[in-house]
Amino acid sequence: MKKKLIFLTLFLLVLIALNSCERDDICIDEITPKLVITFYDKDDPATVKAVSNLSAKIFIGTEADSIPLFVTDTIVSVPLKVTEDNTQYILTIDSNNGALLKRDTLTVSYIRENVFVGRSCGFKTIFKNTTYQLDSNNWAENTETISQTIDNETDAHVKIFH
Amino acid sequence: MHMLKYFINIFFLLCCIFSFSQENGKKQDTILKNKYGLRVGIDLFNPVNTFFNEERKGLELVGDYRISKKWYVAAELGYLENTTDEDFFNFTTNGSYLKAGADYNAYKNWLNMENAIYVGFRYGYSTFSQTLNSFTVNNDPFLDALATVEEGQKFENLNAQWAEIILGIKAEVFNNLYLGFSFSGKKMVSTKEPEGFKNLFVPGFNRVFLNDSGFGFNYTISYLIPLYKRDK
Repeated sequence: MKKKLIFLTLFLLVLIALNSCERDDICIDEITPKLVITFYDKDDPATVKAVSNLSAKIFIGTEADSIPLFVTDTIVSVPLKVTEDNTQYILTIDSNNGALLKRDTLTVSYIRENVFVGRSCGFKTIFKNTTYQLDSNNWAENTETISQTIDNETDAHVKIFH
Repeated sequence: MHMLKYFINIFFLLCCIFSFSQENGKKQDTILKNKYGLRVGIDLFNPVNTFFNEERKGLELVGDYRISKKWYVAAELGYLENTTDEDFFNFTTNGSYLKAGADYNAYKNWLNMENAIYVGFRYGYSTFSQTLNSFTVNNDPFLDALATVEEGQKFENLNAQWAEIILGIKAEVFNNLYLGFSFSGKKMVSTKEPEGFKNLFVPGFNRVFLNDSGFGFNYTISYLIPLYKRDK
């Protein structure tokens, strides 16, 4: 009887050991791509032109939330919503200077498609048939689509001339 | 004598002592015979595991038939329903499987005992369905609050084939009643993958690791239906 108990205990220990295995993989693949915007000179469309102190806000519901972004650069990447068919950004330049700042609203519309990546990463969304619309021209003049499909972050997807 | 046999067999099961050191030369006074027959049983891993983990329900029938002193033809037939919860999604696998192959007993028994330390191989086939219960799109952490859980989707008529190697022990604890446990290493041969998803769990194979390998653990109780005896 005692032997049986030892055996049962041993068996339970093995069971518990098997159940407490740690996860063996972490997500290293590409997940949902961000929108990559490059900035060009409106007077010389072939030349990149940096934006100064760009800040970006994104509409979540009716509230606009700041994306942790504060750049002076010719290229920027911003996240896209995976629950709606469009994302609206408020892009502000010279955002560190209250007197000079200018803001424009950019609306990106698209068709979403969910793609399975793997066990650790789960699903990502890719965006197709993207279109861009500027609501005003306070600093940004116009846009030019580079790629209608957003499925990676290696190349820019849209140009903004300013 | 019976108690002694019982004790020895339990000891065998507990310690897994690979003792091949008995002398063979001596002639026995009585002629020892091996029992041949059909051994049938069930796997206790899933029924017991249900106490710890409600997301795994299943039953497996095991059987083997002795064909020679060392060799057994063996098969397992099972059904399994298992829910896997990952960081970004949750899915349920539902299906049945059949494994067939052979076991080789590498243990030299003392007197008329019928214990086994064996290696075996199996070829497994499973048909199943995967149901994606929910998932969250893996997006930039800034928009994490917007992440969504979408409705389940069922992928049917999937199948998989694999090969496995088994290492196990069996001990006769009472007359014709055996307890055993075994570990198995598996390697996927082919799978029919769902479109837009992946077979990350297969009944009978368990979790499919990145390099298409898998592991299993069985704890069985089985009964030998003795059909005839043959000289040792």
